[in-house]
Amino acid sequence: MKSSKTVLLLMVGLALSWGLGLTAAVAKPIKIGILGPMSFTQGEGHWNGATMAAEEINATGGITVGDEKRLIELVKVDTNEFLSIPDATNAMEMAVSRHKVDFLMGGFRTEAVLVMQDIAMESKTIFIGCGAAHPKLCTRVMDDYDTYKYWFRLTPINSSFLGKVDFILLGTAGAIIKQQLGIEKVKVAIVAEKAAWADPIVAAAEKTIPEKMGMEVVGVWRPSPVATDCSAELAAIQRAGAQIVFTTFSSSVGLTFAKQMGELKIPAAPVGINVEAQKSGFWEATNGAGNYVLTINTYAPVKITDKTIPFYNKYKELYKEAPNYTAGTHDAIQILAQAIKNAGTIKADNVVTELEKIEFIAASGKVKFDKSHDVTWGPDYVTALGTQWQDGEMKCVWPYGWEGVTYEGSVPFKLPPWMVEYWKK
Amino acid sequence: MRIVVAYTRRMLKILRSEVLVLPSRVAVLVFVIAILALPLVTQDYYILRIMILTSIFAILAASWDLLSGFTGQMNFGHALFFGVSAYVTALLNLNLGFPPYFSIPLGAMGAVLTGLIVGIPCLRLKGSYLALTTLAFPIILMGIVFAIPGITGGELGLSGLTKLTGSRVNDYYVTSILMLVLGGIMWKITDSNTGIILHAIREDEVAARAAGINTTRYKLLAFCLSGFFAGIAGGLYAHFMRLAGPSTLEIGLSFQVIIWSVFGGMVSIYGPIAGVYILNPFMEVLRVILDNFPSLPEMRMFIFAALVLLTLRFMPEGLIPWLRDKVETECPRCKVRNVAFRRSCRICNAAMT
Repeated sequence: MKSSKTVLLLMVGLALSWGLGLTAAVAKPIKIGILGPMSFTQGEGHWNGATMAAEEINATGGITVGDEKRLIELVKVDTNEFLSIPDATNAMEMAVSRHKVDFLMGGFRTEAVLVMQDIAMESKTIFIGCGAAHPKLCTRVMDDYDTYKYWFRLTPINSSFLGKVDFILLGTAGAIIKQQLGIEKVKVAIVAEKAAWADPIVAAAEKTIPEKMGMEVVGVWRPSPVATDCSAELAAIQRAGAQIVFTTFSSSVGLTFAKQMGELKIPAAPVGINVEAQKSGFWEATNGAGNYVLTINTYAPVKITDKTIPFYNKYKELYKEAPNYTAGTHDAIQILAQAIKNAGTIKADNVVTELEKIEFIAASGKVKFDKSHDVTWGPDYVTALGTQWQDGEMKCVWPYGWEGVTYEGSVPFKLPPWMVEYWKK
Repeated sequence: MRIVVAYTRRMLKILRSEVLVLPSRVAVLVFVIAILALPLVTQDYYILRIMILTSIFAILAASWDLLSGFTGQMNFGHALFFGVSAYVTALLNLNLGFPPYFSIPLGAMGAVLTGLIVGIPCLRLKGSYLALTTLAFPIILMGIVFAIPGITGGELGLSGLTKLTGSRVNDYYVTSILMLVLGGIMWKITDSNTGIILHAIREDEVAARAAGINTTRYKLLAFCLSGFFAGIAGGLYAHFMRLAGPSTLEIGLSFQVIIWSVFGGMVSIYGPIAGVYILNPFMEVLRVILDNFPSLPEMRMFIFAALVLLTLRFMPEGLIPWLRDKVETECPRCKVRNVAFRRSCRICNAAMT
């Protein structure tokens, strides 16, 4: 009898506490699916950036939605998109239909993102791209607004603008060489890895450099993306008398090339795209031979906005590496939080309207989406950066006076001293 | 009405005397019913997507078995047929506005033509030389794809194709019924006189030629037939994914087809189909399980590889033939298969020793 009373009391207690729990229950969290190849650096960047932003926002109580605060719940979606497109689409479908995510961000390989974009649009889920640069992802918004309006791209700037920045960097280096070394017609060696994505850049460079930039192209070299020796190319470049090596590398050859170029003290300045040089481990990986390598970048410890340096330093402290452009998920979550706050709801159509209107100061610059829902590039908005390795530190050297823009903490571009010595003789 | 009753009776009789007597046939029947009934149980988009892709890849794997398993023409570049058809389908759909029911068969015809083009230079090659040559073709085509981005879309591929059908359930029925029908046709081909000749070519081509068989013609036929079925799979894939990109030509896909087929059991048609139906959803089950252990996502490929290796170590003929041999035995006199526990043959009554 006594035991049955105890059981009854326990049951009543449980029921009461459950009831109280219900009344005190927090609002349902907002689920954000983070898409990326999670076994690769790119996916890690997506996840790390998003985790950092979610923790920061959750520490303040969450995202303001109308009268309530809702926490962010991240869903890690390993798309494995480098190895399998069907795998990527399955993962995307799982995020949408199983995890029932409210928003999506990330993606990297354009071929996979195109299909994932279709799945997101079909389910009318907002998808903020942080990885794929191809303009086609955004031209779809212009072509069929009603279907593709849920797509926005935040990082990187699209490949047309990346190309522009690439040539601006080349022009800047050319002007400095002219001025410092007194060379009238600067000679440029085009070196691009043998990959399809580099082909249009090479074609544009061959045309633009002599015709529009007043420089001379001394040759085109196309090493394998996984070459482990570039000494033959470097010897030929030196013989050709190039003062600038215009690089286009996304693979490991960028490391080999930069290392050997420094070791052989080739009298030329490496300028262009070198994804390996965007990584904080580049200096150690080249044993310091990667000094003076200049590459396009997204983040650097300069004051693009008030948020850049705190973000850069915290990211580096937490993950022991510099953020790459896939870590743009950090900005994406913050922008999304602001848009949700403005909309007062998480309904996709309302949030789309707010995202279209938003002007947000993010770590990568002032973000405003254009008509095609692409991030706006320009002196007052997101510019991208040119970073150069200078004695073990990644320094921002561009924009430096470009269209009146110089970010605090930027330094002038430096020519390798052995190059100056060689050409001044 | 009488005709219906008569046919029903005949069907039931066949069911009782031909299907229910063997576990493998019962398994096929259950499989067909399960495939057709799945949307009645669930219409979950995620599950249907996996099953649609599984059906498409099952056609592809069975078509590889037709060429490499039955005819012995070891093809390491089977993605070529898949990719060619995907691109042809996409071009017809995007440029000429052909609907899927025209663009897919025409895409498959493109793959048949490719089968002819590839088959002719490969006829004189055997074994590893043939395998390496076939491996080269999708790589060559990939080069062409990148060389003419204006037509092929280059690295991005061709996207924005018309949807296969209007709904996911319809997509499911189209792909799974096509898989069942085409799988049945391929099985029938291998069971026909042509199939026996293909088998003979694999076992001893010189002997087949000595018997008056034009082996060249039959080998070309095998390339074209295999190309056609793989082409249907490629066309379905392009319309379902709404994309035909370089990934349809990747070496990884060619090897994936071989893994599925060898795992399920070569020289059977149903073995590769079963292989895809086991391994493809298994990878997704692993995804769901490993989702609960966020620190272990990279284990997925490792578990997959370990499973395939263990299966091949202990079941070198493949999973399905191994299972079939466990539950069925062959009559020593009339060679008809019987359920393993029978003491006498169901046909000739000979003792099953």
